[in-house]
Amino acid sequence: MVSISNLKKNYKGYTAVDIEQLTISPTESFGLVGNNGAGKTTLFRMILDLIRPTEGEIQINGKNVQGNDEWKMYVGSYLDENFLIPYLTPEEYFQFVGKLHGYKKDDLQAFYQKFEALFNGEIIGKNKYIQDLSKGNLKKVGIAASFIGSPQIIVLDEPFENLDPTSQIRLKDLLHNERKQRTLSYLISSHDLTHVTEVCERTVILEKGKIFKDIRGSENALAELEEYFKG
Amino acid sequence: MVTTVLLGLFVVIMAGYAIALGYAIVPIITKTLSEDDPINFLNGFLLYYFVVEFVLRYFMQNLPVLDIQPYLHLPVKRNYLVHFFLGKSVVHFLNIIVFFLFTPFALKVVANMYGFAIAINWLVAIWFFSLVTHFLVVLFKKKLDDTFLGLLIIVGLFSFLGAADYFGWFKLSEVSRKLFSITTKSYYPLAVGLLLLATTYWLNFRFFLSSMYPEEIGTQKRSDSRASYGFSFLQNFGVVGELVNLEVKLILRNKRPRTLLLLSIFLLLYGLMFYRGSTKEKIPDVLLFGIGIFMTGAFSINYGQFLFSWQGGHFDFTNTRPFSMRHYLESKYWLLSAVIFICFLLTIPYVYFGWRILIVNGAMMLFNMGVNVYIIMNIGMWDPQKINLSKGSAFNWEGVGAAQWLMALPLVLSPFVIYLPFSLSGYPNAGIFSLAMVGLAGIILHPYLLNRTAKRLLDKKYTIAAGFRKD
Repeated sequence: MVSISNLKKNYKGYTAVDIEQLTISPTESFGLVGNNGAGKTTLFRMILDLIRPTEGEIQINGKNVQGNDEWKMYVGSYLDENFLIPYLTPEEYFQFVGKLHGYKKDDLQAFYQKFEALFNGEIIGKNKYIQDLSKGNLKKVGIAASFIGSPQIIVLDEPFENLDPTSQIRLKDLLHNERKQRTLSYLISSHDLTHVTEVCERTVILEKGKIFKDIRGSENALAELEEYFKG
Repeated sequence: MVTTVLLGLFVVIMAGYAIALGYAIVPIITKTLSEDDPINFLNGFLLYYFVVEFVLRYFMQNLPVLDIQPYLHLPVKRNYLVHFFLGKSVVHFLNIIVFFLFTPFALKVVANMYGFAIAINWLVAIWFFSLVTHFLVVLFKKKLDDTFLGLLIIVGLFSFLGAADYFGWFKLSEVSRKLFSITTKSYYPLAVGLLLLATTYWLNFRFFLSSMYPEEIGTQKRSDSRASYGFSFLQNFGVVGELVNLEVKLILRNKRPRTLLLLSIFLLLYGLMFYRGSTKEKIPDVLLFGIGIFMTGAFSINYGQFLFSWQGGHFDFTNTRPFSMRHYLESKYWLLSAVIFICFLLTIPYVYFGWRILIVNGAMMLFNMGVNVYIIMNIGMWDPQKINLSKGSAFNWEGVGAAQWLMALPLVLSPFVIYLPFSLSGYPNAGIFSLAMVGLAGIILHPYLLNRTAKRLLDKKYTIAAGFRKD
């Protein structure tokens, strides 16, 4: 469970994020939308303790994330290429992250199997360093790594960006299936309204760092979002 | 912006040194060494000078190959592009440095003896050879850099010259003297130099014309080093071992840290230059200390300058994965300490020049491990800049901030803070002993000191992460 209270991040002259109260339940699939500069990535970075909040705090499972290493065991994340190690091959990278989570060989094998469809034969056994991968494949590696260690919470920034249509559909299936099997909550930001409403049961519109609208359920979500972004 | 200014400043300083040196050469040779034939004397050194220039160019010169990329798809003739690129490569400080260095000598000494025309002849001939070196380096860097053959050629050449000198086949200085003394008698060397220059230019031209693809001439080939480097025994040391292994891979797989590693091995030979005279006269302790610090700490200082910058590209990874900052720092601590220890082991043969050298180097190793490592870590936290690992090493100013310039000072000066009070009161050996003890204390206290440092890093990580995210 992620709970945010009185969270504020001020930069010189403007407030990037200003959220009074927001709670994401352990089973929720949570979507975050908003135009550029709305504060989506800043919020995610604060949740992952990469940016120090000016005020307020974020708790994951009841504990403040700041200066705390515990949550890293059960939160998986991929925001951008700063989460990848460019001079490793994808396999080495997965092995390394796997070891941090105590993975054995079998665990890694099961992991590869899960992502076989998404990887589409382009990631494993190619003898390429991560730095030489295409943008779409970088994204696949990052997203896959965020699933290592069976985290309870997975934070993804723009997961569908740069993926080809087939991969987008496969990723959506993967996200759905994973959540059917265990208690898992997603925090996903996206500019693609169709995708986000398909994957998420709850969508929050962020505007200038503030929660503009909190839409529950996915039936009318797309229409509501389109209405907002038209303006 | 700042780096441009620094770079400009650096060039100005270099030029200043070169001019000063150029003026100093004249009185040094004629007065201090009181050579009766200064021209012959200097000529004997010129081939050595070109060897040094080759090495200097190798490390400092970057090929502007990527500059042609924007024109490749435009209707411009390929020949023209290659000429443009090669011409552009000539515009470099190092290509006129011979004028700074040798003009005073040419005008004051050579002109005095043989007349103005010969002086110009002499100077221009040297310049031509300098340019030949330039084109040789360009070709060498593109064709043989980072290959086994390239290393073999360099090592082979140096061994051959050394052997020739040793077995008395010929002396390089003798060859150099004869070669350049021709310039004082005729204008042929000018023609020969021009011919050599044209040949090397032509070789470069042919090479680049046949490989006009950015991926071929641009960044280094990546087909090699696919093999899994790293040390599997490190897996027995848990998370910290894994992190050290990761960093070993970083060093071996990326060009810039790899060059640093080679450079550090090279620095281990430093002692040879200074210790050699020690059989005749005693070397001052100050010098022994400096050499000891540099040899045992060469890699740690060179690499540690950018301690956090190397992994700046994935600092967010470091922050979100399940290990603590303490683990992260500890891995850096063990890596640096291990390398310092290995460097010390490699300097042990210098015991040939006296036991004192071994003892001082041992004390310096302890001091590096117990004190300097923490200095490196703490200064490294001060506004580190990200290093883009895929870029080459030569004259790459990425990652260089104010802290990196300041770091070398405390590292080299700190041992004297402890040593001087003892030595001034007449107990230099006690000074060395207490240096070793302070180092040992730092090593024993490492769990505590690492905790302290980790706390600082934890506090600063947001600023550091924000800095790394900037491009």
